[in-house]
Amino acid sequence: MSGLFSWLQFDFMKLAFLGILLITPLFGILGTMIVNRKMAFFSDALGHSALTGIAVGVVLGVEDTNLSMIVFAVVFAVLLNKISSRNGDTDTVISVFSSLSIALGLAILSRGGNFSKYSGLLVGDILSITLPELLYLGILLAVTFLFWCLCSNWLQALSIHRTLAKSKHIPVTLLEYLFAVLVALIVMLSIKWVGILIINALLILPAAASRNLSENLREYHFFALVFSMFSGVLGLIISYYTNVATGPTIVILAAIIYFATYLYGRKRSI
Amino acid sequence: MKNKYAFVAVLLLVMTLAGIGFVRGYGAWEGQEEKEELLIVTSFYPVYIAALNIAGDCPGVTVRSLSEPQTGCLHDYQLTPQDMILLSEADIFVINGGGMEQFLTEVAEEYPDLTIVDAGRGIFEEDHGDGGTEEEPDGHSHDHEENAHVWMSIAHYEEQVFEIQQGLSEADPARQQQYQERALAYREKIRALAKRADALLEKTRGMPVALLHEAFGFFAEDYGFAVAGELNLDEERQVSAGEVADLLEEIRTKNVRILLAEDLYGKDLGDTIEKETTCRAYYLNTLVRGPKEADSWLRGMEENLEILEEALQETREQE
Repeated sequence: MSGLFSWLQFDFMKLAFLGILLITPLFGILGTMIVNRKMAFFSDALGHSALTGIAVGVVLGVEDTNLSMIVFAVVFAVLLNKISSRNGDTDTVISVFSSLSIALGLAILSRGGNFSKYSGLLVGDILSITLPELLYLGILLAVTFLFWCLCSNWLQALSIHRTLAKSKHIPVTLLEYLFAVLVALIVMLSIKWVGILIINALLILPAAASRNLSENLREYHFFALVFSMFSGVLGLIISYYTNVATGPTIVILAAIIYFATYLYGRKRSI
Repeated sequence: MKNKYAFVAVLLLVMTLAGIGFVRGYGAWEGQEEKEELLIVTSFYPVYIAALNIAGDCPGVTVRSLSEPQTGCLHDYQLTPQDMILLSEADIFVINGGGMEQFLTEVAEEYPDLTIVDAGRGIFEEDHGDGGTEEEPDGHSHDHEENAHVWMSIAHYEEQVFEIQQGLSEADPARQQQYQERALAYREKIRALAKRADALLEKTRGMPVALLHEAFGFFAEDYGFAVAGELNLDEERQVSAGEVADLLEEIRTKNVRILLAEDLYGKDLGDTIEKETTCRAYYLNTLVRGPKEADSWLRGMEENLEILEEALQETREQE
């Protein structure tokens, strides 16, 4: 344990570090939009659908289950968006979809007692990330950033008042679908590294913590990014030295930030 | 307004410092072990115990295990950063083989120079198929993982010890003599146990048993049991009602009296089966976790043997 940066001597740690540098800003940016749109439950359901996506791939005999997972998640997101926009009771609809998809996934994957093969997906493993996968994440980060630059104001308007936004000629429906698909893509591409059980915490916590402090949108996005990246990098390093799984460590750090900012925000009554 | 940024800066700084402190404290608690000249790393508990017996007290050799012995089976084990570090320092990596170490390809890619000793080399080449189970319930054996719990068979475990000794001697010829002596002494003890088990053969050969864990397939093989039904319960296994019904049916029609199960994952179902049938459940040790002592495999296996003797006694009394 000589030196603070001894962990960088391993290739897998370098890749994992790069992975964290790509995933956390992605989650930070996306998280702010998700929290604003009150879609925390939606992204959670999407995470669960990863299991079904893989199961569908296994049943159809698709070689690369990543592909079936992504396709399924996009379909799932679009469908969910469609139904919940028609139906007022979004919470219930999402819950139905989420539990159905996880039940389907469990039923298919546990057939013949093979579920243990996939249980790694529940916790995730950032240490096994490879270079091509980093590339995909990089592309996705660029796309998300673009989307954020172009549409974040529109999305903001949309979450404040849908009808008003529509009257301002904002393409409301298109925007909602695009956003749902983007969330689906990001959740699916990072689920293997972060894990189904905690992916939502990583999406929501930095944004939620940032909301405790910020008074305007710029601060909101800025803090979310800082918190997300900080807990990611520190979490990786702590988990390296203490032999604890990386994902949960990051979430614990993000949660600490959330509570600290919550107390601070309440005292200042921001 | 300014306060807020100061607050965030202080918060993040405090967390970083606390993190460093935590890591330091953890490091002190773990204790730094001196690296000896030869580091043998084993993949998990049964191979660790075997390697400990062969090389544990050789001067200049350290034997350490990857996953902590408490982890249990390796089916879906993910390497932690500490494991990767340990492997990067290791000279020899001893594995159980038979597909138990699913992360092996990853390890081989990352550390191409690491000598890998496969304790299951001789065993799995013989195409043992699925261990003790003669037939698959409904013929869908294609996507089954191979049963790799060979250490549950006394005979196979002895083979493993031999393979490890061979592998170590090849990789480290200087200590060949030492490995050989220790392995011989250890195998002597294993064989004594095997003799005790063989004494039961007369009564056990062909006797129908039901199993609640894949690992007991190899155990049953030692005694010539006829496996009437098997359910593989482990960490994440969920059984369906139909499977349980099938097993109960098998137990009834074949008049099975003995059910071998693991306490941790099989207790509930074991109780159910005892209630529904005349079959009695006996809980054996799967020997995947336990104290880091050289004779813990021997002790665990001896206890299993005693439980089996008791089971046979009881069935005899019933008749």
